[in-house]
Formats: sequence, C-alpha cells, structure tokens
Amino acid sequence: MNPREFLINPADYGLPTRDELVAYRIWDNHFHGFLAKNPIEQYERNSFFVERMGIERSISQEIGGTLDEPFAPYQHDAEILRILERDKDRLSGRTPIDPGFPDESCAKIEKWIRNGPCIGIKYPGTGKTAVTCSHPNNDPILRLAAELNVHVYIHTWLKVGGTPRLPGGDNLPSESTPMDVAKLAQRFPQVAIICGHTGGDWELGVRAVRPYKNVLMEFSGSDPHSGMVEYAISELGVERLVWGGHGPSRSYATELGKVLDANISKADRMKIFGRNLRRICEPVFRKKGMKIEL
Amino acid sequence: MSAIDRRSFLKSSLLGAAAVSLPGRRPLAAQTTARNAPLGIIDTNVNLFDWPFRALKYRHTKALVTKLKKHRIIEAWAGSFEALLAKDMNGVNVRLAAECREHGPGFLIPFGSVNLAWPDWEEDVRRCHEVHKMPGIRIYPGYQPFDLDHPGLESLVKMTRERGLILQVVFGMEDPRVHHPVINVGPVTFAPLLKVMKSAPNAKVQLLHFSGSSQGKDLSQFMENPNTFLDISRLEGNGAVGRLIGSIQGLPSARVPLDRMVFGSHAPYFPVETAILKLIESPLDVQQLQAIMQGNGRRLLPRA
Repeated sequence: MNPREFLINPADYGLPTRDELVAYRIWDNHFHGFLAKNPIEQYERNSFFVERMGIERSISQEIGGTLDEPFAPYQHDAEILRILERDKDRLSGRTPIDPGFPDESCAKIEKWIRNGPCIGIKYPGTGKTAVTCSHPNNDPILRLAAELNVHVYIHTWLKVGGTPRLPGGDNLPSESTPMDVAKLAQRFPQVAIICGHTGGDWELGVRAVRPYKNVLMEFSGSDPHSGMVEYAISELGVERLVWGGHGPSRSYATELGKVLDANISKADRMKIFGRNLRRICEPVFRKKGMKIEL
Repeated sequence: MSAIDRRSFLKSSLLGAAAVSLPGRRPLAAQTTARNAPLGIIDTNVNLFDWPFRALKYRHTKALVTKLKKHRIIEAWAGSFEALLAKDMNGVNVRLAAECREHGPGFLIPFGSVNLAWPDWEEDVRRCHEVHKMPGIRIYPGYQPFDLDHPGLESLVKMTRERGLILQVVFGMEDPRVHHPVINVGPVTFAPLLKVMKSAPNAKVQLLHFSGSSQGKDLSQFMENPNTFLDISRLEGNGAVGRLIGSIQGLPSARVPLDRMVFGSHAPYFPVETAILKLIESPLDVQQLQAIMQGNGRRLLPRA
C-alpha cells in the first residue's frame, strides 16, 4: 500500500487528515529508527510510517555508537552516516554519551557535533557507572554544550519500586530522574535541556522541573494519558513542551493521540509538535549551514 | 442492528468518505456515488466513574459519551473503575447499570464485574445477568486480589458460557512503572486462562488491554478457540495492528486472526484518539477495517 493511501477519512472520525498533520510541521524529537539488530533495515521499513503520519523531521537518538556502547565503534556507523546525509531534509541526529566518562563524552561531542553532523547530545539511562545527570561529572559536558549552543536530551524515568516503595526507587543506577534534571538545569540555565518521557511519571516530573525555564518536557515513550498535555501546559506553559514519536517501538498513533487529546489551539499544537524543538535547534542548524524555518 | 456485510460497508462508509487520492490512481471516493454516513465504531473497552488515582478529563459520563460520539463511536462496552478496589460489587454493578441507562441507553453497554476473591461472587454473576440484563462480565485480576490461577476462574468461565455472557479479562490498567506506591499489582499470568479455555471451548472470552507481544506462543494458542477476542487498546509499535493480523509484508506472521480483533480504546484513561489513529497508521484494507471497527464486535455481541 502507498503510505499516503487511506481507506478511511480521519476527518470523519474527529481526527486530522494527513494534510493537516503535515501542516502541523511535526518534528519527532525521539526517533529510534536505528535501534535494532538490523538498524538499516528497520529504518527503511519505518519510513513508511513516517511518510504515512506526515512527520516532517525525525531526530535520531543514536547517531555514533549505540545507547549501550556510546564510545565503541559501531559496525553500522558508516551506513547510518550515509543515510543521514541522504535524508538530511527529514532526518537529524543526536549522539549518545555517558556522564560516567566525561572526557570521552566531551571528545565524542567534539567529533560528532562540532566536527560532525549531529545537532544535540543524548543522555541514555544505561550508563556503565551509577552516574546520573546531576553528578558533577556532567559539568564539563554542559559547558561544552553551552559553548556549541546545542541542546541536551536526558532520558528520565520515575519507576516505582525500592524500599520504601517510591517513584524512582526502581530506576537503573545511571538512570536520571526529573529531579536530577532540575539540579543540572539550575547549574546551567543557559543550556536548553529536554527532560525525556515527561519524567516517566508526568504528574511528578512536571512538578520537578517546573521552576527551571530552560527545561523542556518531552511527550514520548510513555503511555498516552488523557489530560497530560493540558496539565503540562497549565504548569509549564506551552513553550516548554516538545513531542516525540519514539518509533518504531512505540506507535505514532500513541504519541500523536496525547497532543490531539488536548483542547488547545492549532497554534499551540504546532508549538508542541515542532516549533518549540525547532526553536532550540535553530542555532546549531544555522551554524552548520542547514536550512531551518521556524 | 444486523451484522453488516462487506458490500454494504464499502458503499456506506469507506468509499463514501473523502479518502486521500493518489497520483495516478483513481480516488477511492470517485468509485461510488454513494455518500452515506461513515462506518461507526464499536468500542469494547471503556470504563465509567473515577479512576482512583487521578481526576480524568472525561470522568463524567455525559462528557465521555459526547467525546466518544464525536469520534464516531456508536456503542461502548462500559466497565466501572469502581470495580478495581470495591468490596461491595453489587453496589458497583447497580451504579454502573443506572449510569448507562441515564447517560447512554443503547449506547453504553454495561459490563458488570465480580471479584473472585470475595465470597459468593456467583450471586453477582446472576444479578448482572438476570437483574441488570448485562451481556458480559469484566474482571480486573491484580487490582482485584486474585490471579488467573484462582480456583474460581474455571467456575466463572463455565457460568458465563452457560449464560451466554462475554467474559472480559483485563490484563492491565496502566504502566506498572507509574503505579501509585501503595499499589503493587503484579503481572497477570496468562497460562491458567489458556488451560481453562481448553475445557470450555464455547466460552466467549475477550482479552482487554493485552499487549499481544509478551506472551510467546500463548496468544496464538488462545486464538485457536473461535470465540476468543483481543482488543487493540494495548497494542504498541508502529503498525502494531497490521503486524498482529499479518497485513504488513516482511514482518512476523499473524498471531491473531482478523476475525478475532476488536476495537477498544481504554478511554477515558487513554485518549480515544489513540486507538482510532492505530487503524489509520496501520495499512489495513477495507475488510480488515470493517472487521475491527464494527463487524467482529457485532458478531461477539449481536443486537436484537
């Protein structure tokens, strides 16, 4: 089937048509197209859904190495770079680092951002040591991010567990919480930081980062809860929200539904779906001579 | 309403809609002059009243009904959030029946609940069927303090089969990682249900909010029974609906026959938009859409 072929009209079901999705100018802040044993095959196959759901640009979370092994040469790096260049009108990438190894992290940022194609830094939650994003190790990384004027994406969750049983008590040792993000954001107010997965638990995550205006909340990679976007708007303001698809492991349907559930204006929907992300990406795009229209 | 056939579906809904035209292809909408209402959706998975841990946006039944109808839901099978933690299950079911009558007669179809851990749950089954005329029972293992290895499950399946009731088994309500700390709901074990079903092949059983991906061969074995169904509310990943029924080339073969998959939104906890978008996201043909949106649900629960 052609990805633009639909046998039901979304408008008949109270949903935007593909043309309307395209008009939202959706930038996917959280794309895992290359996260697979066969990353190239998965990326190419997932392009069907990118096209079908009208996604304008996807930001890959794993350019250069992998989330588990961010510093090790990856057998698919060369092919992924070729695709990044081929699809540069609709694909960008962040490079993963590990704050347990700040020197290696900074070297990787130099290679893949200052001297490479990437447009942001990705903090996975799977580091080799128990160092989260609030640790002092992160300071040289954030200073370099500030110098390059690039944003920092931080995977966060608040997995309930532990003794006593509390949100965050079941996090991995290196997995940051939104409270960790808040501490880092306080030290580096000049750096745009994206708090991934709305903190895992959006009701608590939003509260944690609320005072720090340089923190944006990302709607991606968690279940869709009716009312979650409106809550975040009321507490943070619409300018601080970004959207991610988390495909292909999550469904674009899941993630789009979060924002479409909200009773908000088209202008505000466009901010969440892409404009806010473009705003923080604009400096690095311009520096690299890449075209960007807010 | 009688079951619709493929021909009338084609004429009345999909082709009548202003479907997207493709370069070099004749627009679907131009293939017919019929322009009737698009096909409505039977939503087999909604809940009424208050979620215990958050004030949901569409917690008021009137607002929920309006919302569902806006998205062309024509019938919603409704359980009650009260059933998760209540001890007075009869009270839960009385309120559910009354709420459906008041706010959605013929639209909201009440599915009462019984709690196998509470004594004399069999009487609750009888009242749901005989007093409230409910077409089915919905159980919430985990929140209700039993797993599917409970010795009462076999009796429940037998009772629902004898009474011609649908048994809906809920496999989760929310991501366990975000449970309130006071709640410690473990995963629901699937195998005991499979075993019970083998001894009751005519029982009508529906899995609600079941991921469809984490149970190995169990789901395929479950689907060998022709009266078993799965709702789409928990299916996750791009093209998940199509993958599970085998409509996407190059991906693993179907694990759920088309005629066993039904629409479920998990509203008002999930946005209803999400489930409908899954049907749009997956490349489904007319027959597949018709079956999931309405045909299979209507076959499971025919209307007089």
